[in-house]
Amino acid sequence: MAAPMELYCWASGWGLPTVDPDCLTVLTYARFTGAPLKVHKITNPWRSPSGTLPALRTKDEGILSDTHQIITHLRKQKFNADYDLSARQGADTLAFVSLLQKKLLPVLIHTFWGDAKNYVEHTRKWYAEAIPFPLNFFLPSRMQKQQLERLQVVCGENYLDSEEELEKELYREACECLTLLSQRLGRQKFFFGDSPASLDAFVFSHLAPLLKAKLPNGKLQHHLKSLQNLCNYCTAILSLYFPWDEGDPPPVVPKAAAGDGSESEEEPYKRRNQILSVLVGLAAMVGYAFLSGIISVQRQAPSQLRPRAITLEEEEEEEEE
Amino acid sequence: MSLAAEAFVTQIAAAEPWPGNAALYQPLKEEQILLSDNAACLAVQAFLQMCSLPVQLVHRANAEYMSPSGKVPFIHVGNQVVSELGPIVQFVKAKGHSLSDGLDEVQKAEMKAYMELVNNKLLTAELYLQWCDDATVQEITHPRYGSPYPWPLNHILAYQKQWEVRRKMKAIGWGCKSFDQVLEDVDQCCQALSQRLGTQLYFFNKKPTELDALVFGHLFTILTTQLISDELSEKVKSYSNLISFCRRIEQHYFEGRAKDATFRLSLIS
Repeated sequence: MAAPMELYCWASGWGLPTVDPDCLTVLTYARFTGAPLKVHKITNPWRSPSGTLPALRTKDEGILSDTHQIITHLRKQKFNADYDLSARQGADTLAFVSLLQKKLLPVLIHTFWGDAKNYVEHTRKWYAEAIPFPLNFFLPSRMQKQQLERLQVVCGENYLDSEEELEKELYREACECLTLLSQRLGRQKFFFGDSPASLDAFVFSHLAPLLKAKLPNGKLQHHLKSLQNLCNYCTAILSLYFPWDEGDPPPVVPKAAAGDGSESEEEPYKRRNQILSVLVGLAAMVGYAFLSGIISVQRQAPSQLRPRAITLEEEEEEEEE
Repeated sequence: MSLAAEAFVTQIAAAEPWPGNAALYQPLKEEQILLSDNAACLAVQAFLQMCSLPVQLVHRANAEYMSPSGKVPFIHVGNQVVSELGPIVQFVKAKGHSLSDGLDEVQKAEMKAYMELVNNKLLTAELYLQWCDDATVQEITHPRYGSPYPWPLNHILAYQKQWEVRRKMKAIGWGCKSFDQVLEDVDQCCQALSQRLGTQLYFFNKKPTELDALVFGHLFTILTTQLISDELSEKVKSYSNLISFCRRIEQHYFEGRAKDATFRLSLIS
């Protein structure tokens, strides 16, 4: 293809090719089908053509930013992971994707954005370090607000009344969902036999963040880790389809237990911030000097006038004092 | 329904048998009930029929406000009140009646998945049609929803509900969908159900499960409810095995019980 489609998604982190589940779905699907995509892994959502991530720039349909739309588009371009499935398996795919969206997605949002400890120590930490300078102060909290709103509306109005009970309920349903998936997968390599289909992309992208992220508060993680076949399934997909993303993590990635390890990681940012602050300080001083008239630039070119200009400055300075 | 209450209910429920005076509460049938509520009520009725548990139907204008979760229908059994299909299934199971005991683990997983599919697509499409399609909202939803209340209140409550549903639609990404896209989704869902059902009697062969009750509730309601356009029911009608599935359940579980106008699938065909 002359001009490959361009996919914009979040950068890699937490041992995953991309940190966002939606981006991961699209990316995994693309890898499964071998669609030729030019992938831009970015840390600034404002640089995405649609303002949100993931986004796919296509030639004939403009910019797509909904996961399902992107996958449908890829399917239309003959990159169809479900080509070999029977009609009944296609039906099963639809059903299990609904199950994931209803049972697992709310918990995923809650684990990463709702749980205070996880949010502060894990999610916000990553995003605040990854997002470039001025945006990192407000984008993470804005993203959290959006995600929580989504969670609240999906769970119903009584979310705030009984948060604790709802949380328990959510986790119970998610555990049940994980068990169901594990039973459905059984000993197969993928959900429909030996080759991956779109359902695998969805399941993988909902499980892998839970499995890979080192969360301080990982209730669901324990349950997932006890389901051996699902863990193996995720690791297999990671090593088969994303061999290099894992091995070669960018400097921001290893979010290990914090402490001495992360000190050195922050070094380049410290130096950059130092230089930035010095520059900002200088600019402020010069600006003030200009505005208050301590320094004035005179446009008279001839060199003989220069001494006068200097004397002028000196006079003004005296006035100031 | 909250987890604690549920655990409590389940514990107590196990002790007592099903009483003869159990009641199922739902909104007024003729003048008030909406498409999605009717589907939910019918699903619960079908489920209880399949379990052969007798229940008395009670129509109340304020059923929505009586329900512990704010959603209809709910059942009143002995000292307990349980609402919505999922919790009712669990409650009934605790009493020793279950339709899905004969299934293996994989089938149970599939059953749960298909139930979510129906809720995700059909229920959302019904909600979309009755609260986001402007013509339907004006002609059907608002008058029906507000019918039991006096003048200013009927509009206030209807708008309140409409605002709530639209906000939810926006959150799940249906806010900007066109009606055609919704129909597309319904078609996709029906196709999946039809494929899955194939030529079997019920979704899991010879015996009905709660999935059958849920699918019946939604499809039957879509097929028999008079709306301003019949595009939605046309979509369902193109799958002949789903229609005969509805007819089968109607004959088997509702025959002779209700000679209601709504219980007549012979209208179609």
